[in-house]
Amino acid sequence: MSTSAEIARPAAPSRLARALFARFGILLVMPVLLGLGGLMSPAFLSTGNLSNLLLQFAPLAIVAMGQSLVMIVRGLDLSVSSMMATAAVIATGFSGSDRDVAMVVATSAVGASAIGLLNGVLVTKRQVSPFLATLATMILLQGFRFAYTQGAPSGNVPPLLRVLGAAKLGGIPYNSLLLLGLATWLAIVLHRSAFGRRIFIVGGNPVTGRLFGIRSDLITIACYVISSCLAAIAGLLLSGYVGLVDNWVGQGYELDSIVACVVGGVSLKGGRGSIWGALTGAAVIVVLANEVLLLGVPIQVQMIIKGAVIVIAAAFYTRKDSLSGD
Amino acid sequence: VTGALSLRSAMPWWLRSNAALVGVMVLIGAVYLAGTAVSDRFPTFNNVLNVYEQTTDLALVSIGQTLAVLSGGIDLSVGSLISLTCCLTSGLINGNPDRVVPVVAAVLAVGTLVGLVNAGVVVVLRVHPLIVTLGMGAILQGMTLLYALGPVGRVPRSFSFLAYGRVLGLPLGATIAVVLGVIIALLMRYLPLGRQIYALGSDADSARLVGLRRTSALMLVYGCSGFCCAATGLYLAARFGVGQPYTGVNYTLASITPVVLGGTLLSGGRGGVVGTLLGAFLIALLNNLLNFMDVSKHYQLVAQAAIIILAVSIYVDRRGPE
Repeated sequence: MSTSAEIARPAAPSRLARALFARFGILLVMPVLLGLGGLMSPAFLSTGNLSNLLLQFAPLAIVAMGQSLVMIVRGLDLSVSSMMATAAVIATGFSGSDRDVAMVVATSAVGASAIGLLNGVLVTKRQVSPFLATLATMILLQGFRFAYTQGAPSGNVPPLLRVLGAAKLGGIPYNSLLLLGLATWLAIVLHRSAFGRRIFIVGGNPVTGRLFGIRSDLITIACYVISSCLAAIAGLLLSGYVGLVDNWVGQGYELDSIVACVVGGVSLKGGRGSIWGALTGAAVIVVLANEVLLLGVPIQVQMIIKGAVIVIAAAFYTRKDSLSGD
Repeated sequence: VTGALSLRSAMPWWLRSNAALVGVMVLIGAVYLAGTAVSDRFPTFNNVLNVYEQTTDLALVSIGQTLAVLSGGIDLSVGSLISLTCCLTSGLINGNPDRVVPVVAAVLAVGTLVGLVNAGVVVVLRVHPLIVTLGMGAILQGMTLLYALGPVGRVPRSFSFLAYGRVLGLPLGATIAVVLGVIIALLMRYLPLGRQIYALGSDADSARLVGLRRTSALMLVYGCSGFCCAATGLYLAARFGVGQPYTGVNYTLASITPVVLGGTLLSGGRGGVVGTLLGAFLIALLNNLLNFMDVSKHYQLVAQAAIIILAVSIYVDRRGPE
């Protein structure tokens, strides 16, 4: 009996190590990436560049956190980029002075909640596939936006939003402070609250969830609403960062945020993921983009490198994941 | 839900197993009837033929997308691949009629090859097709822009025949799309590998346990999708006469709409190419009707989204009770 215990013992730590690696392996990528950047150019590790990285990191990280919630409940939110652009258009829709910031935020919140609700209801009550439901709301928002702006948005972003989106407090951008607050709140909600446990149960096994008496539809809808609202916040921040608004603020964030989540270990099949995973994934994407820029290669080559890295990063991470289909 | 269920069980078997196909045909009929009230010219044979012609590009790209979705995956590289093949076509032909045949063959080969690479990466690296084809899309867009930053090349008149020509009174491009679609639908039905694609999409684990050839099936699926993208690229080059590096960008997501409207489940395993062809026709018909109604381009987007939501939430195909 003691021999069998001895045989079993060495297997346990290695399995634990493998599980830890599968969960936290992505963290190893960050020092490597940062070290590579430092090797490529001393300017990369300067405080100035790092604080700029933070500035670019915050909007994507905020969207990715929302995306991760939706992905955990077996969904996808393709409407985030359209929601961002819509929030940005709303930001310029009022007088452009600080008096109207409250109105801007309120309007964006109402709009984002409505879109999140629509996504959630379509997915749960009508059983539309998340991909298609959010694709439709993406097009819907785009249509409304173009109709409202007649194709060419005008107007100014309120100064307060510009401060929030672009200014720094002693080298730390305001938007990262906001991100820190949101991330803390969401991490508590997802990983430390009853609601968070229910999110994982609904994503992991909806049938069990229903048998437990969890109102899975409500949980799912809440995740879509949170995702839309976070996208709206990111859109407002980005409009402050860019300063002027066009109809395509945030374009590409829908796919980038999904990639960030996958790289950060959020399962495309639901039931698995974490807030810090989404944050790490977003960091990898932003740092990589910055490094490719430092290499000074033409934009076309940057796209090629980015595409290759997406696949390789996902391969590194999803190797042990059952969703890979093998 | 119980109402819908009892309705379903009351249907005859042929209706129940083809509910999505019947649904999309009913929608086409409804749009057509609505159109008769809008304009006298809408229901004419010539206009319907126009719509048929306008379906070509969407139909071509969606045929391949259908296979990808049926196998439980998705192909998000279609937009970039269309841009690349379109640029290659006009850039390599560059107005020289003698080069048409070899370039067409080469472009179709390039498209198929890209699809095979997609499948290979999915199999070897074991990454979800969504991520693989997304990455491939970025790579291909970069390559396209390396080849041409702006409009490139031109095509001879003989090649434009592909887009504007009529054979037996029917538009050539659209007819090629339909023939291709029907051939692929038949292959999916009668080829063992075609049945295996359905099996793979409906339950990948069981498919592996019974020893289905996943690699060959995925090669066929993504190879076909690449081939269809190349065909779309050829058609667009013929239609516009010039290759643009961003021609295909909208097709990535647009190609999914007809697939779903045609009753193919995004989770894979159920549906088919014929439904997709009808779905593409429905979208073209709808756009045509909105043009007749003088609806601005912006509201056309709203209307299109609304109809997708409406259609899909009404006849959404359920996999049965969980």
